[in-house]
Amino acid sequence: MNNDFDKLSEGDTIDGPSFAVSRESIRLFCDASLDYNPLHLDDDYMKGDFGRTNFGGIIMHGMNNFGLISRMITDWIPPGAVHRRLETRWVKPVRPGDTIRPAGTIKTRQTTQKSRWVLLDVVVRNQKDEPVAVGEAMVEFPP
Amino acid sequence: MVQAQGFETDFWKDANLRKGWDDIVPGEPRKTLPYLLTQEAIALYCKAVGETNPLYLDEKAAKAGPHGGLVAPPSIHILLMFSCTPADDWMRSPGTINAGQSWSYNIHARPGDTIRLEARALDKFIKRQRLFVVHDNVFFNQHGQVICSGRGQTIRPA
Repeated sequence: MNNDFDKLSEGDTIDGPSFAVSRESIRLFCDASLDYNPLHLDDDYMKGDFGRTNFGGIIMHGMNNFGLISRMITDWIPPGAVHRRLETRWVKPVRPGDTIRPAGTIKTRQTTQKSRWVLLDVVVRNQKDEPVAVGEAMVEFPP
Repeated sequence: MVQAQGFETDFWKDANLRKGWDDIVPGEPRKTLPYLLTQEAIALYCKAVGETNPLYLDEKAAKAGPHGGLVAPPSIHILLMFSCTPADDWMRSPGTINAGQSWSYNIHARPGDTIRLEARALDKFIKRQRLFVVHDNVFFNQHGQVICSGRGQTIRPA
């Protein structure tokens, strides 16, 4: 799709990179983020219950989804545009063996007194096409 | 395994010293630490999320680019959150579950920046028998410029 602000339309879509989740990728994210929460490392710990939830094994960091969405946006925007905001919430755990992919859809374009903005709905889906993370992003296209 | 020097990776260690949900006071600043962001840390983060953008990784290309030098990807705050907080910070409590986050980006962090965090819990509440905390975080560079600001919700271990 064309990235020029005036040519963008509601409903235009962005496809992000596919990401294969493994124990190694999760461990690498621990090292890169310094988040060594046992949720991501310790299978024995994850056999336990978390309130009414039992994950059944280690899970990927939710923020790994966040990083992938952000990567998709910065890869998509043209020179001069700025990735200004990202909001996400996690709707399903991601486990080793899953393959996830972020995507975005332009929700609206808006012009303010000093700038121009594109709002996107974003989602990360797993290999079953189930959403694992959903949210919104905002990109500024300075005039 | 690559690790930040001196960083305690065993989050169980001294877990009893960290504040639980009952002890967290909304509005009270968290203890934070300045952190020198290195190109090595940026490169490791990029590898973890598959970033290949030369603006983050290729000094020559970055110098000719819009920022006049290497920068960190916007989502580098994922690393900064743990690197700017001490080992007894309650974000490291085992079993902390991230429920969602929103971040606004002002300027890029750069390698060589000394990053400072101002952080606090803004709110805490119980919903469907789960213990939630709302966090407020702002990262600054050594010039006092805001890099990014964010709000998150975590479910605290019971």
